[in-house]
Amino acid sequence: MRRDRGRKPKKKICSYCVEKIDNVDYKQYEKLKRFVTERGKVLPRRISGNCAKHQRQLTRAIKKARIMALLPFSME
Amino acid sequence: MELYEAMVIISPELEKDGHEEVINGLSATITKNEGTVSTILDWRKRRLAYEIDKKYLEGHYYLVYFSGKGTIIPEIEHYFRVTDTVVRYMVVRTDEQEFEAAAKKAAGEAAAAEKAAAEEAAPKEEAAGDAASVETVETAEPAATPETGEPVEGQDQEEKSKEPESAPEQAEEEKPAGE
Ligand SMILES: [Zn+2]
Repeated sequence: MRRDRGRKPKKKICSYCVEKIDNVDYKQYEKLKRFVTERGKVLPRRISGNCAKHQRQLTRAIKKARIMALLPFSME
Repeated sequence: MELYEAMVIISPELEKDGHEEVINGLSATITKNEGTVSTILDWRKRRLAYEIDKKYLEGHYYLVYFSGKGTIIPEIEHYFRVTDTVVRYMVVRTDEQEFEAAAKKAAGEAAAAEKAAAEEAAPKEEAAGDAASVETVETAEPAATPETGEPVEGQDQEEKSKEPESAPEQAEEEKPAGE
């Protein structure tokens, strides 16, 4: 047994790829909520496990959802 | 010709007739500028994620799918700006897939509404005195929030006034400029 301080370098997978979603939809804001912190910030890729393409789309979708008051802006 | 999706928040204080007026005005603006309205979806009343204009805690959302030339956008934005019952709006480019999904959804909702109307018209006598049997038919909405459609009673929230004013009223630059 190797000591790894409880951190498992598990390979993360992009849930949008898994669900075969071509375009991240800003209208599905309930789903977007999974990718923002309690303070409303976008989760970084290394935590969400999203691929670069979907992370880019996600960031854009979150911005739109915020403009339309579907998601809060991040609070510092 | 491009495909567009307009999302509009209409003041929750406005009656249903008022909503129709706003949406009809939008349709007229689209048509007048050589565009074509494809689908109109009532996206219902929703709680806003933050207070808008220091008075709105909820709003009635609509989605309007239309096609037209790029020059139509400033005309539509002008219409939204001069219509003061429009709380917020956004126009984004979209695709065939979204158009089809919207049309399908609209057809489903129309069918459900018809069914509900028929049910309401028919068993009036039976339902009388048996309130438990009366059920309101709500159309399924996968993306809906739990709080969707619930009227908010407590209007007064203590003045937090933390609304991020950075929110632009429209997001032209947000248009996904074609992958
Ligand atoms: Zn992906």
